[in-house]
Amino acid sequence: MLWEIGVLAAVAVLLVFLGLPLLSLLLRVPPAELWARLLAPASLTALRLSLVTSLAATVAIAALGVPAAYLLATRRFPGKRVVEVLLELPMVLPPTVAGVGLLLAFGRAGLAGKALAALGLSIPFTTLAVVLAQVFVACPFFVSAATAGLREVEARYADAAATLRATPGYAFRRVLLPLALPSVLAGGAMSWARALGEFGATIMFAGNLPGRTQTLPLAVYIGFQTDLQSAVALAVILLILSFTVLLGLRLAHRPPRLPWVGRAPGDAR
Amino acid sequence: MLRATLAKRRGGFALDVAVEAPAGGTLVVVGESGAGKTTLLRLLAGLDRPDAGRVAVGERVYFDAAAGIEAPAWEREVGYVAQDYALFPHLTVRENVAFGLRARGVPRHDARASADAALDRLGVADLALRRPAELSGGQQQRVALARAAVTEPRLLLLDEPLSALDLGTRQVVRGELRALLSELSAATVFVTHSPLDATVFGDSIAVIENGRLTQVGARDDLLRHPRSAYVATLLGVNLLQGTVVSRDAGGVAHVRTADGMLAVADPGADGPVYLTVNPQEITLYSAPPAGSAQNVFRGPVIEIVPEPPAGDRVRVALGTSPPLVAEITRQAVAGLGLREGMPVYAGFKATGVKAYH
Repeated sequence: MLWEIGVLAAVAVLLVFLGLPLLSLLLRVPPAELWARLLAPASLTALRLSLVTSLAATVAIAALGVPAAYLLATRRFPGKRVVEVLLELPMVLPPTVAGVGLLLAFGRAGLAGKALAALGLSIPFTTLAVVLAQVFVACPFFVSAATAGLREVEARYADAAATLRATPGYAFRRVLLPLALPSVLAGGAMSWARALGEFGATIMFAGNLPGRTQTLPLAVYIGFQTDLQSAVALAVILLILSFTVLLGLRLAHRPPRLPWVGRAPGDAR
Repeated sequence: MLRATLAKRRGGFALDVAVEAPAGGTLVVVGESGAGKTTLLRLLAGLDRPDAGRVAVGERVYFDAAAGIEAPAWEREVGYVAQDYALFPHLTVRENVAFGLRARGVPRHDARASADAALDRLGVADLALRRPAELSGGQQQRVALARAAVTEPRLLLLDEPLSALDLGTRQVVRGELRALLSELSAATVFVTHSPLDATVFGDSIAVIENGRLTQVGARDDLLRHPRSAYVATLLGVNLLQGTVVSRDAGGVAHVRTADGMLAVADPGADGPVYLTVNPQEITLYSAPPAGSAQNVFRGPVIEIVPEPPAGDRVRVALGTSPPLVAEITRQAVAGLGLREGMPVYAGFKATGVKAYH
């Protein structure tokens, strides 16, 4: 009994601590005013930019992340641990560090920046820089979820596919990817939510140019110093989007129906 | 026709075997779990790479360590039914069975027709549109077999195909599977831990113990002439080994074993021999016997087990060297005052020992 009370008390403290700031955001601006502030041109611009960049980042992450996840899930190779750590690192790296790194790499004097400058291209402080910053910080969420999903499916079904004369490519298209799709989509959603909330790397690498690089989180930060009510309205939008993504993931997740050997609906066992 | 020699080392376990199975015939590899049965199948299928050896089916060489040949699994004409069947949960039964045909480019319509025919052959045509999760264990097993057989493999590998089924289903499927295997032109390798399945399915049987084949032969020879501890234990006979050193005119041969000389029924030739002693041929004494027993060993009683449990006979395990099992009546146990730990003499006549090369 004492144990039960202790557990519940600890959970209550945690939920209040996490919920109070969120509730404060929701209560700060009356719904009617919230709507008006959202429809203000500056807010709409930031919202549109955020949606476009985060979706572009998610597409790029999926395109590059699926092969990476496949490799990590199905192959053994020297240096695999190092590759795994590299792909995880942005998850724990402070985003400002990522921003400095991106700037040093793609800036005018950077390793890649010099080559790009020779071609007349400059990435920092452009919308592309926003996308790159988002890809950098959000890709680990996709890769780790997709790898876990593919690994589980591969362990169980890859051998069966191979003995049925499926080449690795055919097996991936017809068996591994379809079966791992829930994990891949979950990884995509997590990455998108992370990209949407990205702030630190973006402001370092892309700056804060309204209409070009000022995404929602940046607009919230700027608004905080000039127009608190607008900042709160944008923050509420971010909050609702993030909450919806995570809840949607929970609801969409159904325990997979695997055919458990010798123990199926018809069997008395 | 399958001819394979395989060696594979993994951690402390080493597999080192040579197997053969004729086209249309079945080789059963029987042994305890952990003896290397699944490893053997995975090496044949190309799912793992042998350290050394050669795998050939007919004129096709799938693996040859010396020649540097290694065909990947998806290029081998092999059907493999894993112990858990591994049916694809996102595909219907028909799509599962058609998968192997579609994977090699058979047009959708033709693949479907072949899949339906294979399902019909196994009596599960009515399940074509179901998903694996909706099937019973026996149904999954039939679908897995249909999926492997529809591609007309030249080598069919079955990993404990009956062990996941409950007892009643197993009886039925055993009969069906026998009929199916007799129709296929593939060489079949069937691994099992069940001696019953081994004798039902094996035209020839290989006993695998700790990564090595300890006895290979036709079913009848295997049962009549045990040459491995596994088969001897299975048949409940005492198995010894030795070398014939002399043969009398009276039909008795003298054999040197690791534990001394034995007088045995003359096997008809010199050289190394296997010896089996039926437990019923062994008599127990509390004092050194003076009578007609030519072979006597002394040792403590280790265990007394009724055999069968309700019958009037018991099996007595002895700590002699070599260890022996005797089968005597309950009256004899009472008469000797037999109990565990008690030292006894075990005697048997030369005519009670069967010797063969």
